[in-house]
Amino acid sequence: MSIYKSAVKNPITTALMFVAVIIFGLYSFTKLSIDLYPEMEIPSLTVITTYSGASSVDIETNVTKLIENQLGAVQNVDEVYSTSQDNMSIVTIEFEWGEDLDEATNNVRDVLDRIIDFLPEGTDRPQIYKFNTTMMPIMMYSVSSNESYSGIQKIVDEQVVSPLKRISGVGSVSIAGGPQRVVYVETTPEKLDAYNLTVEQIGNAIRMENLNMPAGNIRMGNEDYQLRVEGEFEESVFMNDIVVGNYNGKSIFLKDVALLRDTIEDLKMESRTNGKQTMMFYITKQSGSNTVQIAEQVKEELEKIQPTLPKDISFNLVFDSSKFIKNSISGLSEAFLYALIFVVLIILVFLGRWRATFIVVITIPVSLIVAFIYLYVTGGTLNLISLSSLSIAIGMVVDDAIVVLENITKHIERGSSPRDSATYGTNEVWLAVIASALVIIAVFFPLTLVGGQMGIMFQQFGYIICLTIIVSTVAAITLTPMMASRLLKLREKDANRSKGGWYEKHIISKLDKLDLFYEKTLRWALNNKKKVILIAFSIFVASLFLLKFIPTTFMTQADQGTATAMIELQRGTRVEVTAQVARKIEAEMKEVFGDNLIYIATTAGANDEGGMTSLFNTTGTNIMNMSFKFVGKTERDVSIEDMGNMMRDVLDKHPEIENYTVTPNGGMMSMSGSNTIDIEIFGYDFNTTNKLAQEIKHSISTIPEARDIQISRKDDKAQLQIEFNREKLAQLGLNSATVSNYIRNRVAGMTASRLRENGDEYDVIVRFKEEGRNTISDIENMTFMTPTGKKVKLSEVGEVKELWMPPSITHKGKERYLTVSVKIDKQDIQALVAEINKKVDGVEKPKDVIITIGGAYEDQMESFGDIGLLMLVAILLVFIVMAAQFESFSKPFVIMFAIPFAFSGVLIALFIAGTHLDVIAAIGAVMLIGIVVKNGIVLVDFINLMRDRGYDVMEAIAIAGKSRLRPVLMTTLTTILGMVPMALSTGDGSEIWKPMAVAVIGGLTFSTVVTLILVPTAYAIMAKRGERDKQKAVREEFKFLN
Amino acid sequence: MKSVFIVFNQSNTERMEYILDLLSIRGFTWWENVQGRGTNDGEPRQGTHTWPEMNSAVMTVVSDDLVQALLEKVKVLDAQNPEVGVKAFVWNIEQVV
Repeated sequence: MSIYKSAVKNPITTALMFVAVIIFGLYSFTKLSIDLYPEMEIPSLTVITTYSGASSVDIETNVTKLIENQLGAVQNVDEVYSTSQDNMSIVTIEFEWGEDLDEATNNVRDVLDRIIDFLPEGTDRPQIYKFNTTMMPIMMYSVSSNESYSGIQKIVDEQVVSPLKRISGVGSVSIAGGPQRVVYVETTPEKLDAYNLTVEQIGNAIRMENLNMPAGNIRMGNEDYQLRVEGEFEESVFMNDIVVGNYNGKSIFLKDVALLRDTIEDLKMESRTNGKQTMMFYITKQSGSNTVQIAEQVKEELEKIQPTLPKDISFNLVFDSSKFIKNSISGLSEAFLYALIFVVLIILVFLGRWRATFIVVITIPVSLIVAFIYLYVTGGTLNLISLSSLSIAIGMVVDDAIVVLENITKHIERGSSPRDSATYGTNEVWLAVIASALVIIAVFFPLTLVGGQMGIMFQQFGYIICLTIIVSTVAAITLTPMMASRLLKLREKDANRSKGGWYEKHIISKLDKLDLFYEKTLRWALNNKKKVILIAFSIFVASLFLLKFIPTTFMTQADQGTATAMIELQRGTRVEVTAQVARKIEAEMKEVFGDNLIYIATTAGANDEGGMTSLFNTTGTNIMNMSFKFVGKTERDVSIEDMGNMMRDVLDKHPEIENYTVTPNGGMMSMSGSNTIDIEIFGYDFNTTNKLAQEIKHSISTIPEARDIQISRKDDKAQLQIEFNREKLAQLGLNSATVSNYIRNRVAGMTASRLRENGDEYDVIVRFKEEGRNTISDIENMTFMTPTGKKVKLSEVGEVKELWMPPSITHKGKERYLTVSVKIDKQDIQALVAEINKKVDGVEKPKDVIITIGGAYEDQMESFGDIGLLMLVAILLVFIVMAAQFESFSKPFVIMFAIPFAFSGVLIALFIAGTHLDVIAAIGAVMLIGIVVKNGIVLVDFINLMRDRGYDVMEAIAIAGKSRLRPVLMTTLTTILGMVPMALSTGDGSEIWKPMAVAVIGGLTFSTVVTLILVPTAYAIMAKRGERDKQKAVREEFKFLN
Repeated sequence: MKSVFIVFNQSNTERMEYILDLLSIRGFTWWENVQGRGTNDGEPRQGTHTWPEMNSAVMTVVSDDLVQALLEKVKVLDAQNPEVGVKAFVWNIEQVV
């Protein structure tokens, strides 16, 4: 028994099966977490190797090259990048998207194991790091305070961070920028020389005094005592009274030779929010946990903690990804609801029956809910992509049910019983329904196979649409006939018709008029075939010219109301000066933006233990990083890009600023890492490439659209280098290692011991006072002890030289390169690249230097290339499905006539709406192939039918047109209106999906009109002879019977 | 004894069953999915893409007095909607074993 027959026969089983699906779907829904984008693992690994004391050039030749050469051979490596800087080599291996990183990590580890013996001695073991989107903070707080500032680190660490870490789903809570307590023991070289002491002696004295030690057990009588020496300092002041040496028979106390300061660490990085001294802490989540939920819990917890803290401490939510997610998700849900309402209304208008409408509409929840099951099973999240997929699907899942129900209704209206009509009505159309679903799947399934970052984004999209379509088709041939057999009633003949209710009078009459109008137009078109084709062709060609006026971008950025700026002062500027400039700029920014600005968070200087964060951010004593937060985009009338330009205007006014970049929408959440066009210059010689980069920068800066032009290689930095006379060292019983250690102890400081207080440990650092280590002669005059106890000055064993060194050397594909990058905001990227190319060509290139253009532009080209391929695959698959359905090669071509016009429609719509052509819009265009063809199939199929039933071509076309107008309009309108809320939405994040909605609406509207006129015309032209020949051939074959 | 052969559109299946029950006709032979084409105007029922609908047929052998009642019912059914289509033919039964 066929599936629809059993469905009608067993209504309870059928209904309960779908109820089960719904229950499982709802269960999955409650388990789904909400996120902004699908989780993605960035397919790259970073190998960090430290080699203390080596300069960038040494690192490059001895460490980086070795690692690079070996790693290039790892499977599926896409590109190897590296940065060699002082003390550190960073090699980043990019794999192809979708690569299993666990396996890749193993491969990389194997390779590293092999070369570890060849690395220079003193190199630390290379460390492998993996980055994932979940490592990005989801929230960031700044803590500002006045009186409590010096103790804020401890307070926050103990009273805030620990409770927050306990919230389930929180991955980590990290503190940045807080002041650290340190005990400095600062001495002067003069005093040490006078008392015949060294820094090491002082340090050792402190270390020897500051200890607790078990000294064994003592048995006295019946008791057993533990013997302990408790020498640890309870407070730092006790250190003052340590005897550090003897001079002329007298004890020398620490206080005699050094100044003890129990204070906070020297300023290396200063962070302020709205001008107040702050520290930051940021929260990351565990993979797969719910951002929105965690954010809420964190906020609740902080509210509870706040009263227990000192009064002057206040928290400021610098960045909260959950807010944007919540807003975008609720915006999308709204769009989704409107779409639902529109779709229901359309069906009601066309069908005119509540029950029929209900039967069709019920397929929407049934099929969409499967998406939740899919997401739950594959570990996905509810995000912008999955929700917009649902919004798009909503208009398409009803199509099959509509076709089936229409045929069932036809039977019922002829007077058959609902049960028989349901069974046999479905029987007649179920193959056609499956074929049309196949067309849609043919278009969307290839989406799941796209590679790259785009592939990750569109995988969910493709799967969700395919699954919902499949389920909607299954529902259309089981649930729909079952419900029709139960719900639809055989109306008593002539009871309703003659009465002519409101619906008949107002809507049916209008639809009838529309039918007539269409028939007339169609007949005219059939009589003027050449004219129609000519007009259509010229419209298509004309629309192609619109391409010139539609700017292209990679992906429209959502206006998140945030911006970041990196501002660089003269190299070598002290932190204190950088901070002062920062205050000035902050004040000016506040003036410019007024009420639109919520806060500015600034960090100035570099935290040398910044670790991971310094990999992402450029830091230095002369660099400040500002992040801005503005009010939501609906509450201001300036776009974020324009605000970026206003910032640039402010910064341009400061002569002390050497260089800056402004990133509108910057911050933790920007999806595409680099949003720049990179001109990559490959070449070994620093001077040639630097000069060329300068020339290119200069020539590009004449393009008004090109903003924030940056050269990736920073200027050489001044460096003092000590060169030892090894012979002399050897004579004195010294070596480079010990002497460099001595110098380090005097300048950077010697961590002598740790002060323990209340379970916390603070470094005790012995070093020279600043005045004793500020000049080259200070360094040369440093004294240290030889193993024989003799004192030597540095100048006796070596000299200090001033040198210029590149701060870091970058490689791409094992070759030295640097980039000149141009920021992309909203400009037309294609036009900009053309301009840049022209300028770059104008610059004279030295030999041995290769210039290529990459960055976001490269990504864009790759993605558009992918989409082009996708389009081809989709068209081919659609052709196969249609050719199979019609058992003909020519008919599919007739239908495909409509596809170019869909693209014309896309261009026209984008032009009118002023939307950019981006990847999302292009995906919309690909989708159109399926949707448009579906309309054509309905029409051509019916024309074929009429011709088989013996009508003449013209007549068949006219009849088919008239009869299929409503179903075509209905399915088209549901799809279009399903997208209208998306196209009109102005909520947070709506920019991302808007281009797609605009493209589909435009393309579908335009191509439907074309389908209704042009496809029949093309059919008429193509089919004229075909049928006559066929009959003749049959007559020929059975000649002997005539 | 007469044999009545009724060919009808599948979508009248339930009604046909009802008629037989109504007239307490017990014996019949039933063919599902048969093809056919009307002599004058009746739409072809061929289960093809062009003519997707199908007929079913039932042959029942009844006593002479029941034939008229059965034909009446078929007529009523046909009157419901001639487009759907039902046709009945009657002939004699010579012998029954």
